[in-house]
Amino acid sequence: MILDAWFWTGTVIGVLSLLICLVAAVVRRYPADSAILSAAAVELFLIVYGVAGAIRQFSGDTLNGPGWEFWGYVITALLIPPLAVAWAITDKTRWANVVLAVAGPTVVVMLHRMQVIWYGQW
Amino acid sequence: MSTELQTPPRRNQGLGRIIVMVYAVFALSALARSLFQILSHFDRAPVAYVLSAFAAVVYIIATLSLARTGRTAWLVSLAAVLIELVGVVGVGLATVLHPELFADATVWSHFGAGYGYVPLVLPIVGLAWLLTHREPKES
Repeated sequence: MILDAWFWTGTVIGVLSLLICLVAAVVRRYPADSAILSAAAVELFLIVYGVAGAIRQFSGDTLNGPGWEFWGYVITALLIPPLAVAWAITDKTRWANVVLAVAGPTVVVMLHRMQVIWYGQW
Repeated sequence: MSTELQTPPRRNQGLGRIIVMVYAVFALSALARSLFQILSHFDRAPVAYVLSAFAAVVYIIATLSLARTGRTAWLVSLAAVLIELVGVVGVGLATVLHPELFADATVWSHFGAGYGYVPLVLPIVGLAWLLTHREPKES
């Protein structure tokens, strides 16, 4: 099941992060703490998801697709929120919040791909 | 404050930063994807995978040059964005007219439909940004 609790949890966090960042872009003229924290929440989810994935794989759960494609996606996704934060906090304008807004939806799209690699197409 | 208002925003600030961020995401994902394709099953679709790798290189160059200030970086950005535009339109047309040439999808297949058409919109936005934020000639 691709659209399992993992997927929905990640999607809710990613979409909430997007909304928080967009609101922050409207009401704050600098990178808001809430926007940075929401990107951190996305990263935290990815870490938990990755650890859970490793545990599942080591306990014998088999992936439908190639394992290293799955881990390639996990590692690439893990890079995105820190990249967004680093790029956002060096620019003290409201647009920094929109930079942070990119991380959430990007990770959701990649999470869907990871789920497809793990479970196969539906 | 008044001097701040008089200097135009730099090319890598404000909206420009969002453009760089989106380019960075594409550079990262195109690179990861093409590395995986080339290393794991290059024989399946050599043309598509070489194009994927080329697209990745163009995105990386565009990301780095858009993030930098200065006239050279501006020119490199312009070249990268133009190559990207030609690439997405050319590969987009080729995949529609001659789908048999592509055994697997690339970032630019069907004008980037697989990526929500962002690959088609991105070079247009990038071009508009570059043309409205030209670097003055160095004195």
